[in-house]
Amino acid sequence: MSASQSAVRSRAEAVKVSRTFDYLIIWTLFMVLIGGYHIHFMLTGGDWDFWSDWKDRRLWVTVVPIVSITFPAAVQAMAWSRYRLPFGATLCVLGLLLGEWINRYLNFWGWTYFPVNFVFPSNLVPGAILLDVVLMLSGSFTLTAVLGGMAWGLVFYPGNWPIIAPLHIPIEYNGMMFTLADLQGYHYVRTGTPEYIRMVEKGTLRTFGKDVAPVSAFFSAFVSILIYFLWHFFGNWFSQTRFVQST
Amino acid sequence: MAATTESVKADAAEAPLLNTRNLYAGLGLYLVFYVWVRWYEGVYGWSAGLDSFAPEFEIYWMNFLYIEIVLEILTASVLWGVIWKTRDRNVMSITPREELRRHFTHWIWLACYGWALYWGGSYFTEQDGTWHQTIVRDTDFTPSHIIEFYLSYPIYIITGVASFLYAKTRLPHYQQGLSLMYMVAVIGPFMILPNVGLNEWGHTFWFMEELFVAPLHYGFVFFGWSALGVLGVVNTECEAIGKLLKKDLV
Amino acid sequence: MKTIKDKVAKLSFVALLMTLSAAMLYTPTASAHGEKSQAAFMRMRTIHWFDLNWSKPVVEVNETMEISGKFHVFAGWPETVDKPEVSFLNIGIPGPVFIRAGSWIGDQLVPRSVTLELGETYSFRVLLKARRPGEWHVHTMMNVEGGGPIIGPGKFVTITGTMGSFTNELTTLTGQTIDLETWGLSNIYFWHGLWYLVGVAWLVYWCRRPVFIPRHLAVSAGKLDGLITDGDKKVAIIFFVGTIGLVLFGMGQANSKYPVTTPLQAGLMRGMVPLEMPEVSINVKVEEASYRVPGRAMQMTLTITNNGDSAVRLGEFNTASVRFLDPEVYQDDSGYPADLLADAGLSVSDNSPIQPGETRTIEVTASDAAWEVYRLSDLIYDPDSRFAGLLFFFDENGNRQMVMVDAPLIPVFI
Repeated sequence: MSASQSAVRSRAEAVKVSRTFDYLIIWTLFMVLIGGYHIHFMLTGGDWDFWSDWKDRRLWVTVVPIVSITFPAAVQAMAWSRYRLPFGATLCVLGLLLGEWINRYLNFWGWTYFPVNFVFPSNLVPGAILLDVVLMLSGSFTLTAVLGGMAWGLVFYPGNWPIIAPLHIPIEYNGMMFTLADLQGYHYVRTGTPEYIRMVEKGTLRTFGKDVAPVSAFFSAFVSILIYFLWHFFGNWFSQTRFVQST
Repeated sequence: MAATTESVKADAAEAPLLNTRNLYAGLGLYLVFYVWVRWYEGVYGWSAGLDSFAPEFEIYWMNFLYIEIVLEILTASVLWGVIWKTRDRNVMSITPREELRRHFTHWIWLACYGWALYWGGSYFTEQDGTWHQTIVRDTDFTPSHIIEFYLSYPIYIITGVASFLYAKTRLPHYQQGLSLMYMVAVIGPFMILPNVGLNEWGHTFWFMEELFVAPLHYGFVFFGWSALGVLGVVNTECEAIGKLLKKDLV
Repeated sequence: MKTIKDKVAKLSFVALLMTLSAAMLYTPTASAHGEKSQAAFMRMRTIHWFDLNWSKPVVEVNETMEISGKFHVFAGWPETVDKPEVSFLNIGIPGPVFIRAGSWIGDQLVPRSVTLELGETYSFRVLLKARRPGEWHVHTMMNVEGGGPIIGPGKFVTITGTMGSFTNELTTLTGQTIDLETWGLSNIYFWHGLWYLVGVAWLVYWCRRPVFIPRHLAVSAGKLDGLITDGDKKVAIIFFVGTIGLVLFGMGQANSKYPVTTPLQAGLMRGMVPLEMPEVSINVKVEEASYRVPGRAMQMTLTITNNGDSAVRLGEFNTASVRFLDPEVYQDDSGYPADLLADAGLSVSDNSPIQPGETRTIEVTASDAAWEVYRLSDLIYDPDSRFAGLLFFFDENGNRQMVMVDAPLIPVFI
C-alpha cells in the first residue's frame, strides 16, 4: 500500500463515499441494535411489554424504564464521544419499537391471532428524545445520567397513559369487576401463560395506595440514573478499537 | 488532458467501489428465505406442529431440523473455507483504492450480518414467545425452536464469522491482530446458541410455562449485550476508512 | 430485457403477497396438545378429570360451547410437583381460537388463580365462544404454580364461519358498549405512530448531514466547532419542549376522555367450595400391581370390602384420563374421546356383585393400546414407578362410588 496514493479520485468522490458509508453504517448499526436490544428487553421486561394486562401501575412502571435505559446509555456513550451525535437513545428506541411492532403484528396477530390491542408495545420515544436532547444541550454524561435518567423514568407512565387509559375502564362481568385489560387477558386464551405468572400490583396495607404510579415512576427514575451510569461505562468498553495479539 | 481521459476510461472499466447488486442480492436472499420460512411456520406450525408425538410432526418438523443442520454445517464449511482459502497473502501491498473497495465489500458482509442478527435476535426470538403461548411445550424441538435456535441463530453466526474472516483475510487494517470488539460482536451472539442448553435444561426440569423474564433466560440476555461490540466495529472501521479518505475529505 | 426484469420483479412480489396471504388465511386441523410428553406417574397422581362433557362438536363463530365436569385433586400428590396452592383453571386450546367467556369452579367465577385442597373433588365448567374457524383439539387443563400445565382429555371441536365476523361486544361500567376485539386500536396506532414520527424526525435531522467518517475525523482532530451549531440547539429545545408538551397534552386529554379508570385487578382466590361426594363405603386394598409390557396390560390384585348396604360391581378404572370400562357393568354414552376410552378394556376375574359385608380378592386387568399411545406404559421407566387412579363401583340402581388407588407398579418384561 502506498500512502501517497489516494483511495478516491476527487473530493466529490470522497464525500460520496463517506455518505455511502453513512447509509451502510446506519443500516447495520440499526439492525444489530434491534437484535441485541430487543433480545435484552424481551427477556428482562418483555412480559410487561407483550400484554395489556401486565401494564400496571407498579411493576410495569418500575421495571420497563430500568431495563430499557441500558442500550440507549451505551450507544449514547459511543455516538457522542466519538462523533458528537446526539441520537443514540432515539436510534435504539426506534429500533426496538420497530422490531416489536413487526413481531406483534406479523406473529402475535398474524400467526397466533391475539388482537393487536392486547399485545401492543410500550412507548419509549418521549424518554429517548429527552435523553438525547439533555446530552446534546449539556454535553455532560453526568448531567444526562441524572437529569436525563430521571426524565426517562418519570415520563414513561404519562407517555403511555393515553395509549392504555381506554383499557383501564372498569366493567362488570359475571359478577366481578375487571378492567378491560384484565378481561382481554381472560378472554384471549394464552395456553402457556396461566394467570399466576402475571406480576402486577396486588395492593398493599401500607400508605400511598392511591399514588402507586408516581411512587413507582420516581423509584424507576432513581434506578434508571444508576443504570445509565453503569451502561455508559459498558458503552465505552464496547466502543474500544483495540486489537489483541493471537497467541 | 490525455491522462485524465485515460483515468476516466480506467474508472469506467474497473469494478465499482460498492457492488450494490451484491448488497441488494445479499439482503434480498435473507428476506426471501425468511418470508418462505414464515409461510412454512404459518401452515405447518398449525397443521403439524402442536403435538411432537404425532407422525406428521416428524415429517414436517423433525425432518426440517435434520435438513437445516446438515445444510448449515455444509454452508459454514464451504463459505468459511473459501474465504480462508482465497485469502490475500499480500494484503499489505494493495492500493488504497483496492482497500477502499474491500471496505465496501466488507460492509456488505456487515450489513448482511446486521440483517441476519435482526431476524434471529429480534424477529424469531420474540416470535418464540407467541408460539409458546399457543402450544403446550412438549418437546425441546418445538416449531419455533427449530426455526429460532437451529436456523436463524446459525445463519447469523455463519454470516458474522464470514464477515470477520473477510476483514481478517483481506483488509490491511485488521492485520494488527484480532479486533477485540469484532470478536465480541461475533462470538457473543454465537454463544446464544450453546446457551440453548441452559434454556432447555431449565424448561425441562424446572419451568414449563412461558415467562419471558424468568431468570432462566438471562444467559440469552448476557450474550445479547455483546451485540454492542458493533460499536467498536463501527469505530474501528471509521478509523480505517477515515485514514483512507482524510486528505480528500478534510 | 428490462421488461422481462420488471415482469419477474412484479411476479415475485405478487407471489410473495400470495404466500403471506395463504399463510394468514389458512384454516387448519390442529392435533393434540402434547399431553403425552408429561411423565406418566405425574399424570396419574395429580388431577383426575371425570364426568366430562363437551357440549357441541361443531360451533359457528360467535356461538358458545361449554366443557363441564369434575376433577379430583389427588391426595397422593407427587413430591416433584408443587402443591396446588396457586392453580389456574386454564383451557388447552391452540391460543385464542375460542375466547374464554367464563370459567367456574363450583359456582365461583375463576378468572384468577385459586387454591385447591388435596383429596377434594370439584365441579367445573368453562364457557367458550368460537373465534377462529378450524378443527381444534379442546382439552381441559389445570396449571399449577411450580408444576406446570396438567392437561386433561381433549376432543375435537369444529368451528365454522369466518373470523372476520367475530365480535366481542361488552358494556362497561361507564355505560359504553364496545367491541373488545378492536377497542382502542386506532388510538394505539395513532399515539405510537405519532411518537415514532417524532423519533424519526430527530434522527433524520441529524442524518441529513454527513454522519460518521467526517465527524469522526473532526472529533479525533479536536475540531468540535461546527459539529453542534446554535441552530441545532434551537431545534433541540423545540424537541425538548415539544416532547414534554405532547406528553402533558396526551395525559390531560386521556384523563378528560376517560375520567373513570381502575387499576388492574389481581389476587389469589381462596375458599373454593368442593363437591360433596357420596360417602364411600367400599374399601380397596391393592395387593400388587404389575404392567405387562408385551401385552400392554396392567394387572392389579385388589382386596375389596363392601361396607355398604347394597351389592356393588367394579365398572371403571380411570387413570390419566384413560378410561377402562367393563361393559357388562357400565357403558359410556357421553361421547368421551374414543382414543381415551377402552370401552371393554377392563376385565375382572370375578365381577359378580360384591355383597354387603363381603370381602373378595379379585384380579383386575386393564388393557388397551392407549397404554402405548398415551405413553402411560412409560411409567415403568419413570423415576417414581407408582401408579394411581380412580375406581368406580356401581350398585344395581346405578349409584356410583369413587375410590382412589395409589400403589407401586412392577413391570413385567418377559
